[in-house]
Amino acid sequence: MMSSTIFLHPASYFILGALLLPIFSRFKMQKVVLLAVPLLAFWQIHALPESFGVCNFMGFELVFGKVDKLTYVFLHVFTLMALIGAIYCLHVKETGHHIAAFLYVAGSLGTTLAGDYLTIFIFWELMAFASTFLIWYRKRKRSIEAGYRYLLVHTAGGLILLAGIFLRYQNCHDLSFTRIAVEGATMADYLIMVGFMLNAAVPPIHAWLPDAYPEATVTGAVFMCAFTTKTAVYVLARAFPGFEMLAVMGAIMTLYGVGYAVIENDARRILAYHIVSQVGYMVCGIGIGTAMAVNGACAHAYAHILYKALLFMGVGAVLEMTGKSKLNELGGLYKRMPWAMVFTVIGGVAISGFPLTSGFISKSMIIAAAGEDHRIFLLIMLSLAAVGTFLSVGIKLPYFIWFGKDSGVKAKEAPWNMNLAMIFASFMCIFLGIYPEYLYRMLPFPVHYHPYTAYHLSETLQILGFTGLGFYLMVKYLHPEPKSNLDLDWFYRKGALVFMWVASKPISIANDWVGEVYRTVGLRFTKAVAKALSWFDWEGIDWAVDGSAKGVVQGGDKMRTLQTGKIQQYVGGAVAALMIVLLLVVFL
Amino acid sequence: MAQILSYLQAHAKVLKWVFFVYLLGTLLFDFLVERHHPHFWGDSVIGFWALFTILGCLGMIVFCKGLSHVWLAQREDFYDSEDSDNDE
Repeated sequence: MMSSTIFLHPASYFILGALLLPIFSRFKMQKVVLLAVPLLAFWQIHALPESFGVCNFMGFELVFGKVDKLTYVFLHVFTLMALIGAIYCLHVKETGHHIAAFLYVAGSLGTTLAGDYLTIFIFWELMAFASTFLIWYRKRKRSIEAGYRYLLVHTAGGLILLAGIFLRYQNCHDLSFTRIAVEGATMADYLIMVGFMLNAAVPPIHAWLPDAYPEATVTGAVFMCAFTTKTAVYVLARAFPGFEMLAVMGAIMTLYGVGYAVIENDARRILAYHIVSQVGYMVCGIGIGTAMAVNGACAHAYAHILYKALLFMGVGAVLEMTGKSKLNELGGLYKRMPWAMVFTVIGGVAISGFPLTSGFISKSMIIAAAGEDHRIFLLIMLSLAAVGTFLSVGIKLPYFIWFGKDSGVKAKEAPWNMNLAMIFASFMCIFLGIYPEYLYRMLPFPVHYHPYTAYHLSETLQILGFTGLGFYLMVKYLHPEPKSNLDLDWFYRKGALVFMWVASKPISIANDWVGEVYRTVGLRFTKAVAKALSWFDWEGIDWAVDGSAKGVVQGGDKMRTLQTGKIQQYVGGAVAALMIVLLLVVFL
Repeated sequence: MAQILSYLQAHAKVLKWVFFVYLLGTLLFDFLVERHHPHFWGDSVIGFWALFTILGCLGMIVFCKGLSHVWLAQREDFYDSEDSDNDE
């Protein structure tokens, strides 16, 4: 790639920023980089040409930049979110955490701009690897384990995607990333779709999300809730609009996620399940595939990133200040953290689609699109999920943290930078609700939808009011309990235990036995052969045999010390190697 | 901020009545609203979404909480303890 086009690409700012961070942190100037990079990128996306960064790599044409309206709306919200996230984590001292966040954002931007499947795959994997560190940096045993599961699931998803890409290349020798027609879709396309769906957390391959996000760091979760699933929504919207399967799966997702959000106890787990529900709206909109539905999916992605991040920031502020995120351990915090409450409630109100907030103008677009397309069943499912949204995230979550029974937990208001980030996000939620044209202008198709009609208002006010009544009637029954609920991760978490048992019992016994045999038979045999050889050749070349034997012994010792057995170091090494390859690919 | 909220909490009874009046208001508003493009039959029934919501909301709470109680709910260290059993 030409050096001039490198600086067209917003991801290169984040990669460069990640490289510069360690140097700047030496001079205590980390914060400058943290703010400057997202600002530059946010400014840069307005100046992108339609196509750039086309290069030839081993006979494949890689397209690093392809821009149209669909790309633009996602780039806009991704860079805006990177800025809000950077403000929120200004107080974090660990440079490595910031590097991981920057590389994660770079992966997301790179995927969004990619014009071919190979480029997508490179940035897709960068996203998965970098975000894993946002979990590991919490440094608790549970987080380390959850991070491995997250990485393994995403590696599996990446392999499915790669298999689809290979098959596709074999079928039609074309890796350009464009819309796939429903009629002509082959096995290859469906494999690619499954790879994308894993990142969009479509059940039954969704369990990584509520498993990993609650274990991430406070600031890491704010980044993670914005980028992985919404990048997947973007690639699905680009390649697979109109696939009936997505419409049905999306509607199921909305109810599945919200159902768990109603019963979970950990605040961040509630929010994580609720991502599944919200992304369901977008997947459903893409599956319906009309101009209005795809517009709705994009608008909802934009609005959702802001209010879900706001919710994660509010709950994260509580976790940061009190060390607690479980509803049964919290309660009555409104006297001690009133501002965090105000911002979280704004997020909850927006996600529930109150008039004058961003949810009102985005979610309704998808529901209306389902109605216009005469998908009554989808419309009913999506509306029911809206009821559950207000119930779980709009009322239950703030009620049991800030009101309910006073837990007596000591707390102070969050640091200024966290509050500033929350003010920023709150402002966007309300701004979009009052002035929806700002968002509608960015959408890929012309918008003929008016959210503020009398009937829509009446419908929304009824849904919100009577959900409130439902909560009021059932508040005792909804009381949080210190439990967590089984989900489909049971299969691989228990499956892994079976595998570990097989590895630790039968295989290890067999291994010990083979080892014993080798020690008694093999070692003696080798020694005997060595002796025989040295005796046989001792006249002329015994120094050579001796020398090589010594060399082997020493080499073996070295190998033994190299293999520390710590998987972290192996994975770290692999990631480092991958980063170097990536940087070479991007910059050469 | 905290004072306002404390004040409101002290007058919870008034708030409750305000809330019920609001619910009634939404139903009355539904009588007046013009329905230009009903998407399906439910859109032309007055108070449909109120009924839909309260039934859906109660149904969802009972169904999800019930499912959680009889099947899904586990101790929060459910997976952890299995691990440590294995280590021993």
